[in-house]
Amino acid sequence: MFVYLWGYLYSNFFRFWLKWILRLLTGKCELQRICGGSKEGSQRTLKIEYSLGLSKSKVLRHAIHVGEAEVEKCVMGIMKEKKINIQKDTGFKTSLQVCLLQISGYKKLYLEVENLRKVPYDSDNEEHEKQLIQLWNLLIPHENLKARITKQWCDIGFQGDDPKTDFRGMGMLGLVNLVYFSKHYTSEARQILSRSNHPKLGYSYAIVGINLTEMAYSLLKSGALKSHLYNLVPGLPQMEHFHQFYCYLVYEFDKFWFEEEPESIMHFNHYREKFHEKVKGLLLDYNQVLTLQNIKKP
Amino acid sequence: MGLLSILRKLKSAPDQEVRILLLGLDNAGKTTLLKQLASEDISHITPTQGFNIKSVQSQGFKLNVWDIGGQRKIRPYWRNYFENTDVLIYVIDSADRKRFEETGQELAELLDEEKLSGVPVLIFANKQDLLTAAPASEIAEGLNLHTIRDRIWQIQSCSALTGEGVQDGMNWVCKNVNAKKK
Repeated sequence: MFVYLWGYLYSNFFRFWLKWILRLLTGKCELQRICGGSKEGSQRTLKIEYSLGLSKSKVLRHAIHVGEAEVEKCVMGIMKEKKINIQKDTGFKTSLQVCLLQISGYKKLYLEVENLRKVPYDSDNEEHEKQLIQLWNLLIPHENLKARITKQWCDIGFQGDDPKTDFRGMGMLGLVNLVYFSKHYTSEARQILSRSNHPKLGYSYAIVGINLTEMAYSLLKSGALKSHLYNLVPGLPQMEHFHQFYCYLVYEFDKFWFEEEPESIMHFNHYREKFHEKVKGLLLDYNQVLTLQNIKKP
Repeated sequence: MGLLSILRKLKSAPDQEVRILLLGLDNAGKTTLLKQLASEDISHITPTQGFNIKSVQSQGFKLNVWDIGGQRKIRPYWRNYFENTDVLIYVIDSADRKRFEETGQELAELLDEEKLSGVPVLIFANKQDLLTAAPASEIAEGLNLHTIRDRIWQIQSCSALTGEGVQDGMNWVCKNVNAKKK
């Protein structure tokens, strides 16, 4: 109760006066103090995003919703609104611009990922079919598929003889993720696939992959991936960066699974949740960048 | 009567707990049904590795619903979940005619299980929102459901996606929870 009351008073009352006093003392507005005082990357951009969102000025509040093309104009608008002298604080304009690009880029990336997720796998679509066959050829190059509908699909961890029904709510995003990992980290993918056939600790490679697509997607959607992406990309994050994060999850989940030694595959959801919590915990760190280490980037 | 004794009385009549087992082939729609029952978002579903469990309050019952993955590879694990089951719900993809035989076989094997003997069974003829879905009557005939005599059973057409028919099925479940034949 006290915490709520304090939170209410702080954001509605004290915060304003505190900012006013600091402005008098330093001669700088909050945005300038953040840009000057915090390290570039997620530390700075998250604070800027928070500050803009709480602002009483419409121009500032609107800044977290502008698209890439309007960023420059928006920065000029903010400097005018806050009466910031460009000569006195030379780095400010560029810093704020980078922050706004990152903020708008994250939103755009989410929309792109969401659009791909919404495309259901369609076996009448040649492009979809091509990618599915490509996945097979990348993982098991020395063995040909005997037919399009065959039990062989179970060898790479689909549920039955036709993978099309396994993509479900992840749609083409699930397949594109699987293909990306196999294409860019081919030897790792084959190694993980062979480990996933372990007689006791084994799991179904492809559908666990689709489950991890869901994890990457929900972390992006909830905003939890901001710390990672703001640190990784000093501008607009691309689809590529989402796929890279997926690769990190697949690689790390496999390691995690074998370290935990679960009783059987039936306990998958328990360990999936445990892994999810672990990743969420890592992403709380301002300085976090979650990329594949020990193996070279494509 | 004092306040304390009223409270005690309320506490002494808790919801009856019911164990419900949700089985069926992969892609039958078990997880979608489970989420529909729990009024959760059904747009991000992925194939079930292992199982999901959720508790739902309904008509004075606490339904503990176990949704077990339907992939062939993990069907041998189904039997680990048979014990103390009050009602079996078997889900069928009514549009996947190519697998009617397979699903019929799995159901027949379940009905032969000793640990499930006498347990009431509800068969959901799911995916009725699809144009190609077979009607419940056709499935009942194809699966020879009328030959089931050792327990009470019901077939209910539904769409876990739209929610149509799901509540009707669950009403039947609540009515027949205690009808296990010894």
